[in-house]
Amino acid sequence: MKLRRGLLIIGLLTPGLGLILALIGTVVYIAVSQSFGYYSLNGTNEFSTEFWSKMAGRKAFKRSIQYSIYIGVFSAIFSVALAYPLAIWLRKPFAGSNFIGAVLKAPLLVHGLVAAFLFINVISYHGILNQFMQWLGIWSEPRRLQNDPNAYGVLILQTWKNMPFALLLLTGAVQSISDDVLDAARDLGAGTWDRFRRIIAPLTVSGMQAAMVIIFIGAVADFSFQVIAGPTNKQSLSQLMVSFKGRGDWHSAAVVGVSLMMIALVGSAILAVVARMVMRGRIK
Amino acid sequence: MIKSLLATTALLASATMSFAGDLTSMSWDDIVAQAKEEGEVTWYVWYLRDDFRRAVQAFEEEYGISVTIPEGTAAGNSEKMLAERDRETGDIDVLAWGTDGFATVDLAPLFSSLSVLPEDDGRVVELAGFDGGDHVVAFWGNQTGIAYDPAHVSADNLPQTPDEFAAFWAENPGKFGFNYEKGGSGPSFYQNTLRVVADIDFSNGEVTDERLAAIQPGIDFFNEHAENYVVTASNADSIIRASDGELWMVPAWEDHLAGLQNRGEVREEIKFYIPEMGMNGGGNGVAIPLNAPNPAAAAVFVNWLTSPETQSMFNKDFGTAPMNTAADDSFALVPNEQRAFRQVWGAQPFRGEVEASFIDNVILER
Repeated sequence: MKLRRGLLIIGLLTPGLGLILALIGTVVYIAVSQSFGYYSLNGTNEFSTEFWSKMAGRKAFKRSIQYSIYIGVFSAIFSVALAYPLAIWLRKPFAGSNFIGAVLKAPLLVHGLVAAFLFINVISYHGILNQFMQWLGIWSEPRRLQNDPNAYGVLILQTWKNMPFALLLLTGAVQSISDDVLDAARDLGAGTWDRFRRIIAPLTVSGMQAAMVIIFIGAVADFSFQVIAGPTNKQSLSQLMVSFKGRGDWHSAAVVGVSLMMIALVGSAILAVVARMVMRGRIK
Repeated sequence: MIKSLLATTALLASATMSFAGDLTSMSWDDIVAQAKEEGEVTWYVWYLRDDFRRAVQAFEEEYGISVTIPEGTAAGNSEKMLAERDRETGDIDVLAWGTDGFATVDLAPLFSSLSVLPEDDGRVVELAGFDGGDHVVAFWGNQTGIAYDPAHVSADNLPQTPDEFAAFWAENPGKFGFNYEKGGSGPSFYQNTLRVVADIDFSNGEVTDERLAAIQPGIDFFNEHAENYVVTASNADSIIRASDGELWMVPAWEDHLAGLQNRGEVREEIKFYIPEMGMNGGGNGVAIPLNAPNPAAAAVFVNWLTSPETQSMFNKDFGTAPMNTAADDSFALVPNEQRAFRQVWGAQPFRGEVEASFIDNVILER
């Protein structure tokens, strides 16, 4: 009976869990194996830690890790920080709130590559922004805004693209808070900031964590925004991985890929824990 | 029933295999007849695919063989060829690849002999230090150089040496840009500058600490002038920004620039030259994988692609350097005398190590 029940559970889980394990498992297995010298497309297959040790000594690799974490963390923070006030504002329906909500979520429908090209058009040397600023007389000549070295362009694009996703998660979480709870807090003398800090933040921490983690994972692995609008003196980990692959160096590309997976895993866990502590008032 | 189906399938498979093996013993007329029976050929080429789809219509009309050009990147196509090398019948009839790409693999175990093609002394099998032998023939000649805007840069006073480029950068800060990735024009510029400034022999692929340390004067040269030049995102980004007027001089590919100008995507006023210090030229070749599904049609297609007529057409439409000596090259962007400045791409693995060092010590230091 127990065996039958066990088989039934496994059978029920197989379509979902099995597919996930098979797809992710094989990819992770191949990437890890390649990073240690196996699955060579055009060479010998043998165990080697050379690719890891060589990569660890490369300046480009260390810089890429720092840069990708910078993009991942700040994209997640900016997206959530912008989404919170909007979610609270849209908590109670009002005339036009559905329309505003739909417009705010529109970036979800625009592919990142398209957004990046549009952005480049706007900020290019003879683009709309430069023309507008000169027309206003604020700038006397065009300024080079494209591929800025601090990656503000990438952060703007990441925030523009991910804020609606955070808004989607936070709107649901904020709307689930009953009016009675907020009214009670107000009756007890809590102001706007206190109601956010002591009621809304702790009760929406799960939604916020989910938004932070998912945005962080996506942004830390950014490729499309980086290659089009990112700084040319820095490389994201994805960009570095693709550049190794382009040179036919699959083993080094796998080392970067596995590192990226580890950073996404560990980084998102740290981010989730820190975000929970901040939102529950344990870090002030 | 199943047995007879299996037997028929086996018979057909063995007939196909024996035919593929027999191509070398067939006359060219028989190969053409067989190619027409096959009726199709799949050409894996990674660039200008839409333009090539139009260009091969002449072949389709002449032979009645349809040409399919799938989407794909250079790396993706070559990796596919390598990944399916052990399949009995692959998907690729004709593979286009850079000669530096072909140079990274052993040709005979991967590609059919092209000795089946009709005699043509004009075909090019040795290009930029690469010898395709019996297996690879060049179909696309390309050259890197400097694209410039004559409205700002006089054709009589073009920089020819690293010192002259440095002087141009100093006089016109922020008006010269080059890419270090996503295209080879920028790497051609900085590698030749390194070659001249540091007096490095790039034809030697050996990697030693001494050889890598010897490029330091070239690295210093770029770092000393870092404030005066711009690093762009790609080949295309460089040309677009030159066409837009933001940059006045950028490294570019001759064929890339000509193609963009022909399509009206870049101003026709933009000119091109090869500096006397030398910039890299080379080309792309085609080969027929051993497991090509339509080997006869592939051979006929390669013969057409490398013919003087097709090469003349490529020169006119794409601005390529013709890869058949009997072809007309009068539509090229540079006069023939400048081709004397052509340099060969550096040998691997040394070139790759220099690229990595340049990124670490110049690009990441900006």
